[in-house]
Amino acid sequence: MNTNFKSWPILLALGLTSVPLVTMYAYMIIDTVTVSPPGSFIPNGISFGSWSFLWEAPAPGRPSIWSVTLNTFIFACVSTLMALSVSLTGGYALSRLHLPFRGFFLGGLIVLHAFPTITLIIAIFLILQMVGLYDTLAGVILVKAALEIPFGVWIMKGFYDTVPWEIEMAGLTDGATRFTVWRKLVLPQVQPGITALGIFAFLSGWSEFILPQVLAPGADAQVLGVYLQSLISDDTSMDFAKFKSVGVFYAIPVILIYILFNKHLMNIYGGGTKG
Amino acid sequence: MRRTDLFGLGFMAPALILTIMFFLAPVVMTGVYSFTNMSTATGISGGAYLISPATIRSLTEQGFQGDAIERLSSESYVVDEAGLEAAEAAGYTPRFIAEIRSTLLGDTFTGRRDFERALKDLSHRPRSIRDLKKATELFQKSVLNVRFETEADFQSALSSLNLNLSPAEAVFLTETAYTGWIWTSANYDRAVNLPSTYRATANSAIYVTFTLAFNVGFGLFLAITTFYLPSGQAAFFRTIWFLPRILPPVLYVLMWKWLTWDTGFLSTLLSHFGVPPHNLMKHTATHAWVVVVLINGFVGASMGMILFSSAIRSIPQSMLHASEVDGANRWQQVRYIILPQLRWPILFTTAYQTLSLLTSFEYILLSTNGGPGSATNVWALYAFKIALNNYGGNLEYGYGAALAMVLVIIGIIASLFYLRLFNFKSMITSPRIEQ
Amino acid sequence: MRIELKNFKKTFGDITVIEDMSLSLESGEMLALLGPSGCGKSTTLFAICGIHRMTGGQLLFGDRDVTLVPSQQRNVGVVFQNYALYPHMNAYENIAFPLMIRKEDRKTIEKKVSEIAALVHIGELMERKPAQLSGGQQQRVALARALVREPDILLLDEPLANLDAKLRLEMRSEIRRIQQQTGITAILVTHDQVEAMSMCDRIAIMNKGDIVQLSSPQDMYQNPNSEFVASFLGNPPIAFLDGVVTDGGVQLASSEALLPLRGQHGLPSSGMPIRLGIRPEHFQPENPLKVTGRISFVETQGREELYDVTLSNGSVLRSIQRQGGGYHLGDEVSWGIAENQILAFDASGARLHMGALA
Repeated sequence: MNTNFKSWPILLALGLTSVPLVTMYAYMIIDTVTVSPPGSFIPNGISFGSWSFLWEAPAPGRPSIWSVTLNTFIFACVSTLMALSVSLTGGYALSRLHLPFRGFFLGGLIVLHAFPTITLIIAIFLILQMVGLYDTLAGVILVKAALEIPFGVWIMKGFYDTVPWEIEMAGLTDGATRFTVWRKLVLPQVQPGITALGIFAFLSGWSEFILPQVLAPGADAQVLGVYLQSLISDDTSMDFAKFKSVGVFYAIPVILIYILFNKHLMNIYGGGTKG
Repeated sequence: MRRTDLFGLGFMAPALILTIMFFLAPVVMTGVYSFTNMSTATGISGGAYLISPATIRSLTEQGFQGDAIERLSSESYVVDEAGLEAAEAAGYTPRFIAEIRSTLLGDTFTGRRDFERALKDLSHRPRSIRDLKKATELFQKSVLNVRFETEADFQSALSSLNLNLSPAEAVFLTETAYTGWIWTSANYDRAVNLPSTYRATANSAIYVTFTLAFNVGFGLFLAITTFYLPSGQAAFFRTIWFLPRILPPVLYVLMWKWLTWDTGFLSTLLSHFGVPPHNLMKHTATHAWVVVVLINGFVGASMGMILFSSAIRSIPQSMLHASEVDGANRWQQVRYIILPQLRWPILFTTAYQTLSLLTSFEYILLSTNGGPGSATNVWALYAFKIALNNYGGNLEYGYGAALAMVLVIIGIIASLFYLRLFNFKSMITSPRIEQ
Repeated sequence: MRIELKNFKKTFGDITVIEDMSLSLESGEMLALLGPSGCGKSTTLFAICGIHRMTGGQLLFGDRDVTLVPSQQRNVGVVFQNYALYPHMNAYENIAFPLMIRKEDRKTIEKKVSEIAALVHIGELMERKPAQLSGGQQQRVALARALVREPDILLLDEPLANLDAKLRLEMRSEIRRIQQQTGITAILVTHDQVEAMSMCDRIAIMNKGDIVQLSSPQDMYQNPNSEFVASFLGNPPIAFLDGVVTDGGVQLASSEALLPLRGQHGLPSSGMPIRLGIRPEHFQPENPLKVTGRISFVETQGREELYDVTLSNGSVLRSIQRQGGGYHLGDEVSWGIAENQILAFDASGARLHMGALA
């Protein structure tokens, strides 16, 4: 962008620091479709053997990859939909509606937004056991959605805040009820927010590991993260090709979403929740 | 309450309910649980009353009166009608039963062997020794290893043993025999007294300091370098460094395992230079820390990269051009134009990540799992493993909750601090539509 | 429809914006609420359309008391400063929205929308989204949307503020034409005196939550009842001279100069402070009541030239004259004030009515 400065020293520095990541990405793919002689990383043949988990019957005691994938999909989608709908109404209430204790709710929202939810997992584990939702997909979905809410409400409130008041005022004088104004006039204006939050929540649900691992460890409710991790920790042969094939399979939706929506993603991750 | 307030509350309700269920309740319950001794052994609902060998041991250690311990631990056998009925139901021959009734009814034996010997002397005894042994069990009257669901059942069983206990001793015995959880502040005492607590504290400090330094420093490096590149190249590098953030943690850590394990890339590469293969993730504490910091740092740097990049982009172009016209070299431009503009984003990132690093443990759990030994066992992971992920068996929820409570309190304090940082007052403007 | 606002009071929390205000509009009249920002004119408008609750008072549309009627049922049309078009709907859908909400059938909606579109001259733009329309076109769509359901009253909140100078001129006459053609009662909220004067039948000048004068534009210009009104109307603005009443006339402040206003009655008694307002068109070389000063500023406006003349005591008088007077910056001039056009005010800013004795 700047012609006054040379860019090759920068390219060199960036390139060198990026070597580890690029190597890992490259071999992530290469190892799943090739075989290499022991002690070498130069492939000497093509093989799709490590992908056999897709069509072979699962090992005894292990759920099938397809049921796990379905679980993951349900987990990610339902928790996203829940978090999204709750954030859409909650964010609107905080941005635009009259509420008793409004200031209190807003303050609470910011506190929760920054609050490290993972510290609550012990109590959540015990609460789920007490209400009987332990080891069910429904329970862990509920928890996941709930933990996304402070962030979601915060983001959506930000989007609602940018909708001109006059649009709502015009809607009211045009004869629409407050609810119709929200549904027909305001929601279409926050569409980018809905997309961004939806993508974020889906990715976060799709990638989730600790919550399902702790709150729904049974085979019936297993998700891909837990599946892959148990594959790695139970396997003594360290068959990286197999792990990576499962991993690539696991990452497909993430990569697709990144390709389709990367502008949205950069924005919402700039708001920052993880690490 | 006005109609408009109700409408607003209606919109707020779903968020409120879920927040109360999964934020407020857990915060309160973490506090509550931290004052119990809940664990896998005690269960999380109520408990029962049980004198087990472990109970006997503990009673002996506490100096309970020896005679009573003797009686509690000894097995006694009483031949009574109830036992005979049970034998009948179990299918022993009527002649055998009749013989017991006639010869042994009302007798008491203090050991299994004595009773067995008495039964063996009978002429109509069962052929197999196993059936005979089983028959003895029907007359057993011991409280040892018997679960009593209510305290009343337990007390009546004790009274049949004639222990002659003082009221205080009786209460002590009942408490010791109770298997459910009880209220206690022992968790906090324990946390203060255990060396592993201090180890975890030190580990957390190391982890937060180094990771944070890496995140901010490297985030800055990425933001500034990509800023000076043509947009295509910049986008390429941003993608490379952004991916770790959106890839599932399990998968991301898998890549690192492949890189660092003894069968992995680095070991294989180094073996060509005569370095013996090591699992670099767990070889020594230093190795483990380097890997842990890099794993987290590569993810965390992307947050800095994104925030700082947008802050740099908001610097007016004319300002940069002016500095170039004034003859600033690139380093001077960074130092005097760009960095001063990043003060606020850097402060924000530091504040935000300090808290989130302090409480996060996912990547450590997946990579070193606190090892080698407990070299990388940070506080959050320590609490998690004690309460929820302890393959050794007993999950100590109460103790884990006490450890987590420390983080919860830090979290609340830090969040309140952010409330100030966000300039909260300016956000509360009342709605402009009044109906 | 006749609109009447009685004893309107509005508070926000502890702050009272409007204490007690009454206003009535005749059917088919267009009235301007004119005032500086923060004077309460927008608050009044929001109360009339029902977006703000009235703290006290009463609002009548014809004979109907709408004080407590929610906005949706008041039947008011509003055009907002930023037009508030619904960005995701095209022009047709925007205009049809109020009718759709009323659940009118499709045929009627189509008919009404095309009629109103023809009235505001946007028939060919119906498929466009607001982002594809120019400012003036958006304004027309907003007008059409406000008018399509035949409201009892049309409220215009700074409708021209977002337009460039040329369009502003055009829309000024367009809005007036449409208002007169439909015969609707309308209120225009503006801070621009030119708009108010050129578009409206009457002007209500507001200051600090109060109507300070309500009159026709012409009358208000010539007969302002306070210093505030006098200084608010007129471009270039009126200039003031401070002085003290003496036997011989008005002694200008910190100066020897005496304005011999002998032929006037209504001057307050001697020794009272007084403020004289002189509009630029009434300070001309040919007038008899001369004052001397130095030209301190010249602004060429094309057809006319505007001069600032600084008097020896430091006060400044403005004069607007035809091109070609041949005066230059720094010239010492002695020009005259049109004696019978002087507007005099007392220390509190209230108007003092003076007249020639003859």
